[in-house]
Amino acid sequence: MTTYQLLTTAWEWNPTLLLLCSLALAGYFLAFGLRGRPAYFVGALVIFLVALVSPLNALADGYLFSAHMVQHILLVLIVPALLLLSLPRSLSLPRSLRTFTYPLIGWIAGVGAMWLWHAPALCNAATTLKTVSVIQTISLLLMGSVFWWQALAPRDADRLSPLAGIAYLFTACIACSVLGIILTFAPVSICPAYQQPIDRLGILNLIRGQWGLTSDRDQQIGGLMMWVPMCLIYVTAILAQLVRWQSQSAPHPEKSHA
Amino acid sequence: MNGTTTTTAMFRAAILDPAKRAHYRLAWLSTVDHKRIAVLYLLTGLFFFVVGGVEALLMRLQLALPNNHFLQPDTFNQLFTMHGTTMIFLVVMPVMFGFVNYVLPLQIGARDMAFPRLNALGFWLVPFGGILLHFSVLAGGAPAVGWFSYTPLSETPYSSNLGVDYWAVALFVLGIGSIALAINIIATVISRRAPGMTMRRLPLFTWINFVNAFIIIFALPVLNAGLAMLLIDRQLEGHFFLPLRGGSAVLWQHIFWAFGHPEVYIMVLPAFGIVSEIIPVFSRKPIFGYEFVAASSVAIALLSLSVWGHHMFTVGMGRPLDLFFAISSLLIAIPTGVKVLNWTATMLGGRIRLQVPMFFCIAFLIQFLCAGITGVSHAVVPLDWQTKNSYFLIAHFHFVAVGAIVFAAFAAVQYWFPKMSGRLLSEKLGKWTFWLMVIGFNMTFIIQHFLGLLGMPRRVFTYPDLPHFTWMNMLSTVGVFFMAAAAVILVWNLVASFFGGKIAGDNPWNAWTLEWATTSPPPHENFHALPPIRSRRPLWDIANPDRPDPIVGENSSAISLPNKNKTGILTFILSETGFFLALILAYLFFYAHPQPGPTPRELDVPRTLIFSVCLFASSFTFWRSEIAMSKRQRGSMLGWLALTVALGGIFLVGQGAEYWKLFKTGVDVSTNLFSTTFFTLTGFHGLHVLLGLVALLIFLWLAWRGDFASGRESAFESAGYYWHFVDIVWVFVLLTVYILPLLR
Repeated sequence: MTTYQLLTTAWEWNPTLLLLCSLALAGYFLAFGLRGRPAYFVGALVIFLVALVSPLNALADGYLFSAHMVQHILLVLIVPALLLLSLPRSLSLPRSLRTFTYPLIGWIAGVGAMWLWHAPALCNAATTLKTVSVIQTISLLLMGSVFWWQALAPRDADRLSPLAGIAYLFTACIACSVLGIILTFAPVSICPAYQQPIDRLGILNLIRGQWGLTSDRDQQIGGLMMWVPMCLIYVTAILAQLVRWQSQSAPHPEKSHA
Repeated sequence: MNGTTTTTAMFRAAILDPAKRAHYRLAWLSTVDHKRIAVLYLLTGLFFFVVGGVEALLMRLQLALPNNHFLQPDTFNQLFTMHGTTMIFLVVMPVMFGFVNYVLPLQIGARDMAFPRLNALGFWLVPFGGILLHFSVLAGGAPAVGWFSYTPLSETPYSSNLGVDYWAVALFVLGIGSIALAINIIATVISRRAPGMTMRRLPLFTWINFVNAFIIIFALPVLNAGLAMLLIDRQLEGHFFLPLRGGSAVLWQHIFWAFGHPEVYIMVLPAFGIVSEIIPVFSRKPIFGYEFVAASSVAIALLSLSVWGHHMFTVGMGRPLDLFFAISSLLIAIPTGVKVLNWTATMLGGRIRLQVPMFFCIAFLIQFLCAGITGVSHAVVPLDWQTKNSYFLIAHFHFVAVGAIVFAAFAAVQYWFPKMSGRLLSEKLGKWTFWLMVIGFNMTFIIQHFLGLLGMPRRVFTYPDLPHFTWMNMLSTVGVFFMAAAAVILVWNLVASFFGGKIAGDNPWNAWTLEWATTSPPPHENFHALPPIRSRRPLWDIANPDRPDPIVGENSSAISLPNKNKTGILTFILSETGFFLALILAYLFFYAHPQPGPTPRELDVPRTLIFSVCLFASSFTFWRSEIAMSKRQRGSMLGWLALTVALGGIFLVGQGAEYWKLFKTGVDVSTNLFSTTFFTLTGFHGLHVLLGLVALLIFLWLAWRGDFASGRESAFESAGYYWHFVDIVWVFVLLTVYILPLLR
């Protein structure tokens, strides 16, 4: 199989996922109409589908640790962030869910989503067992949402103050970078399932040969993904906090408080 | 008899009379005034600038001619090592710290730094470190391994004299001093601002140095961890960086550059701060895009911590690492470029006053742009492979270090000297310094780009008579004399103007930040009265009441000032986190490469768990003690505190028993990599527990004496933060060292 064939044929149109997404979209419009920001919601769904339907998913499913890492980042950082951004600005959380709005819980959820699912046993189970994989996906979305709530909650009052938000994001960034560094330099396989993939699609020669991705190199790229690009997501969020901080102003008579 | 009494009385009077005491010579040695400490920093920096400059001059003399034997090869190696180390740790950092120390408290309207005595300690560690470093010359020879001291060259088998040991200890000491100052800067900015000086109204020099302090507390501890490992290798026969015994020479490079790259920004960010103050004042315009300059500094700080790999492209890290580090290094050009645009746009359309500080800033802009462009070229891996160990790289980093940083420092001297001394520096002599510097600097270093591209390698004491090499090197050497002349004129200018310069007045440059709102030099307490602060340019608002700057943030002078003790200890804990992180990662790295000999299986896990429970329980007892204190139950507080000390002591006894068992079976630091990393990690933790115990004992003693009245709660709570931190570190050490092997 060539790269082109892989990119065109390895789409796995999972009916359950498509149904879920359609339901979510319908639910979103039923609940909020156009009060929210539907563009973000559609974006979240598209990236969610890219992560779980496209060839990325095929590669992450037992072939490449690095592809798994990209999927992981999309599900834990990008999709929940877009989901929170899509909510109407006036929305606040029902009282029963307030437990999840403590900053420490958010921080532990965000960092835990990275560390927990890369414990060798869990990472292996998620790669080899379908049920665990589903649990992983759901937990990543939830933990990511809890994490981002502190920075992206719909109402400004529900978010951390900008400087506290910077500290929150920066420490989370460091905690994840440390894991990235460990994965990059670990001489042993963190997720042994990726070492000897079962070649379901007949693409192992393509990956190992033409792409030159040995399993060592693959894990290194996975670690680097967590270390560098993921850090950049946090850095972007930190800069957004700075922008928010610098644009906070007193309610001037001539300028209404937006 | 009578005479002695009179002398004693006079002596007492001299000590007790503040006016006379101010002139007493010892006052400069015992001072805790941030202004005097700043001047001491600057003078120390100037002294070592001369030392490092002479070292550079000697090297350039050696290189002026091909096949020259003016210096021995080994002397040359010592000279470039000492030149690099001196210029970075004993010149640029102290000089920038000096400016920060003088200006930052004034700019935020504070009386002094948050911790004046810590400030004095931070300064005195600089001469101490400098003496340690240079003492190596008397103790068998200066280090000859480069300022980065690459292993295994810097290990005992290859550098057997004590030079590297003195180098490592000196840098360790200097690192502690820098961290002390960084903690002080953060605590000062957070908890010592004047009413109205909100965080968003901070002048850029203060803001940038505030951000810079965070880089210091994350980067320097990593270096200190590396230096500790190097010293353990050299003094206790550890094996961290010795490939012969399973160690990793590349690990040293990772640790060193994880510090070394942020270090570049630690040096250059204060220069950015200086330029961001001077260019607006001399263009008679507010800075263009304050928010962008402020935010891009944060972006630089964040990115700087994850790009060190670009110093190691020639090591052979593999293509994935090269690729990612190349991309992240290229990204740094964006926030830096934003800054250059901001400064240029500030000048655009301004009424530019061409005085000496502005001269230096304009030269800074042009030279820094060149430095940035050659810098980005090093992010391109194949190009880096070709130019890395050549004079092209020397030219690049001297464009940063001299063309940007030294020029900014010279601008700052001219700009702030009137505030420090009350007298202006001579403009005429300043222009001589400027033009000699510009000519000398560019003559020396532009040509080195081409020398490098022609293939002249760095760190060689001489070269053959190849085409173009001779005249290029000669030109480069001639340039150094221009710079030396510039330095001599600067020193002359400083001395002459100090005694006979024009009287400056409070605000000679018509600047807008608070340091110009007080007398020159400022009184001991800095300000008699502060102007209202509503914007970033309070003095502009006073001078132009009809068109003041727009109010920044809320229109009130209310500010929140967190407690300085807690801020300080939390910052300290952040820096300690970096230190332990480096040690734990090094432990894990070698744990994954097992060596023959003892393994974690030798450890007594159940017993350690019991002793660990004692340590964890001590956090609980401390918490009870705090509660008792807040309820003013002295007896109960003393009891819980004593129990805390006892539990901490029991933990140390347990650790001692573990060590004793290992020693008895012949296992010590030098046995194999497991033992080296084990003793290093647990040893440093134990040391921290011990220090925590000492602190708690002091508190116990104070409380027992009844000296622990109200008003000291925050100090007690701060000690508690540290104690809890030590316990949390143990959670991670326990998991890595004792629990992880059980999971296999």
